[in-house]
Amino acid sequence: MANKIIAWVDRRFPLTSFVKHELTGYPTPRNLSYWWNFGFLAGFVLVLQVVTGIFLAMHYKADVNLSFDSIQHIMRDVNYGWLLRYMHATGASAFFLVIFIHMARTLYYGSYRRPRELLWWTGQGLLILLMATAFMGYLLPWGQMSFWGATVITNLFRATPFVGDQIVIWLRGDFTVGDATLTRFFALHYLFPFLIVGAVVVHLVALHTVKSSNPSGIDLSHKDNIPFHPYFTAKDFYGLGWFLIVYCVFVFFYPDSLMEPANNIPANPMLTPNHIVPEWYFLPFYAILRSVPNMVGGVVAMGLSVMIFAFMPYLDRSRIPGGAHYRPVYRVLVYIFALDMLVLGYVGYTPPTDGTILLGQIAAFVYFMTFLCLPFISKAEENWLLKRGFHPELEALVAAEQSAIALRNGGGVK
Amino acid sequence: MKRHLLAIFVLFSIQAHAGEEGLSHVQVQTSLAAIQRGAETFMGQCHSCHTLKYMHYGDLKHFGMDQHKVDEWRGDQALDAVISSQMSDEAALQSFAKVPPDLSLMTKAREGGPDYVYSYLLGYYTDKDGMTANHVFPATKMPDILGGSMTSDAAQLEAIRKQAGDIVSFLTWVADPHEQERQRLGYYVLAYLMVLTVLLYLVKNRIWSRLK
Ligand code: HEC
Repeated sequence: MANKIIAWVDRRFPLTSFVKHELTGYPTPRNLSYWWNFGFLAGFVLVLQVVTGIFLAMHYKADVNLSFDSIQHIMRDVNYGWLLRYMHATGASAFFLVIFIHMARTLYYGSYRRPRELLWWTGQGLLILLMATAFMGYLLPWGQMSFWGATVITNLFRATPFVGDQIVIWLRGDFTVGDATLTRFFALHYLFPFLIVGAVVVHLVALHTVKSSNPSGIDLSHKDNIPFHPYFTAKDFYGLGWFLIVYCVFVFFYPDSLMEPANNIPANPMLTPNHIVPEWYFLPFYAILRSVPNMVGGVVAMGLSVMIFAFMPYLDRSRIPGGAHYRPVYRVLVYIFALDMLVLGYVGYTPPTDGTILLGQIAAFVYFMTFLCLPFISKAEENWLLKRGFHPELEALVAAEQSAIALRNGGGVK
Repeated sequence: MKRHLLAIFVLFSIQAHAGEEGLSHVQVQTSLAAIQRGAETFMGQCHSCHTLKYMHYGDLKHFGMDQHKVDEWRGDQALDAVISSQMSDEAALQSFAKVPPDLSLMTKAREGGPDYVYSYLLGYYTDKDGMTANHVFPATKMPDILGGSMTSDAAQLEAIRKQAGDIVSFLTWVADPHEQERQRLGYYVLAYLMVLTVLLYLVKNRIWSRLK
């Protein structure tokens, strides 16, 4: 019976072949490490956020007089409302953590390089969408930090040439962040996740065209690929187990550790909190914004700090395969960059003093210099490695590949 | 990988807890008895000025507090009435030039949480001009309700500290009434996930062993 139905569908829609080619049978490099689990995890968190979000929206009220109370209604009166809300709030942090690791993996292993540029750029688009969604979501509880965070960030659009003031009013729907802003942010916060779902589909189509990269950086597909199912379904679900453990520790035991105390005070336009901080995942970019004394300059620097990842396929000019593992200089650069992000995060979190401002400026400088020096460093590193010889592992891989190619060409085997 | 993950999380939770120096630590109690004692002190000492706008008298009873006490506290108000203060906003503005804040979320709304409220309540002292001042919130408009600045008797001070501790335990419960339920559920969820993860690990190894 089931077979009959599937046959009926298959005559009208490529169901079986789609599942076979794109899901179960999708050829995947067998040497993927656990760092390759995070794409799947990001997809999982996206679903988690959409599901918890839809149920929260059934109880939430987007109105400056009701929002704050409606959150407390969810926390206190709705059955397991506290669970929904903590899952959703913690989920936002989890989403960024997973995405940052996913990006770090791409950078470390050089997965952004030819032919995966479009894959990388759709990922960049997803990052922007995610940031916008999180930013708008943060306004919804209508706490002090919600209000002042949105005020500060929308205010940055004043830096737009000629029409800055109009743009800010247009974004807010009013002269200040208010009811109009809250309702539109809610509408868009509900819309954007579905745009993200669409962009994820594009991301996956690109992935399935160029196929997954692997830690060696060499295309080993002819001998090393295995079907996605059951190998990577099993591996992804095992990784999911670990993810859920960490996530649930936060949801059930430390749900407030990632929330600002000031956001438990209802928004008050007359009272500026003495220290406005964004959520942790925006801190490094916020630090870059603050480290430029001029507002327009700061906005440009911040925008660039997010968008500069898109240039990686061109900034990295080395053709040495594999990631930082086979490229000692690039590896040092990756670690410096990761450390620099932490320093920027710290600077973004602390109230500005002369010392932290200077530290922030140095860290912002290092941030951009790692990108801007990369074309020269990567080329120099390539020349050096060509002269000095590759990492023994890489040497062996390349030799094996070359003889395989020679065998295939010479032996007349296809 | 797990080690790195943990390090990142720990780093950020440390950040989130920064800024608590200078506060004395309070051991928040979760027993019904302590919370009820705190409620009693609250009703006697704080209720005249402060509201708990997300709490109803019925919630106290539902939590298991003594029915007679709850009836006594609510007087002629309905059981599902909000715990509002006994002072009008106008009167408060006249006396303090400020409306006393709602305390429902107070233990979550300040850097330091319960420690902050505890230290604030006990932070009163008499300065050299004979005026009452507060270490934690120097310009506060709230008088020294518990009276810590008016006595130097050790036994009395100890009683005041205990009172403050009970109030804070009560307010912590008020800020998050589902906390105990959440943590209880959390242990089951984590135990389940750990077993599940071990099983998934075995399944994964089994499947991958076909490749050798
Ligand atoms: C006589 C009226 C009155 C009574 C009684 C009273 N308070 Fe207050 N309380 C105030 C006022 C006024 C403020 C506002 C202080 C300010 O912002 O300067 C306040 C503020 C507070 C704050 C917030 C401090 C801050 O950081 O903003 C807390 C916490 C607090 N009270 C706790 C209590 C507790 C607990 C009790 C009972 C032991 C209590 N209050 C009894 C008048 C009162």
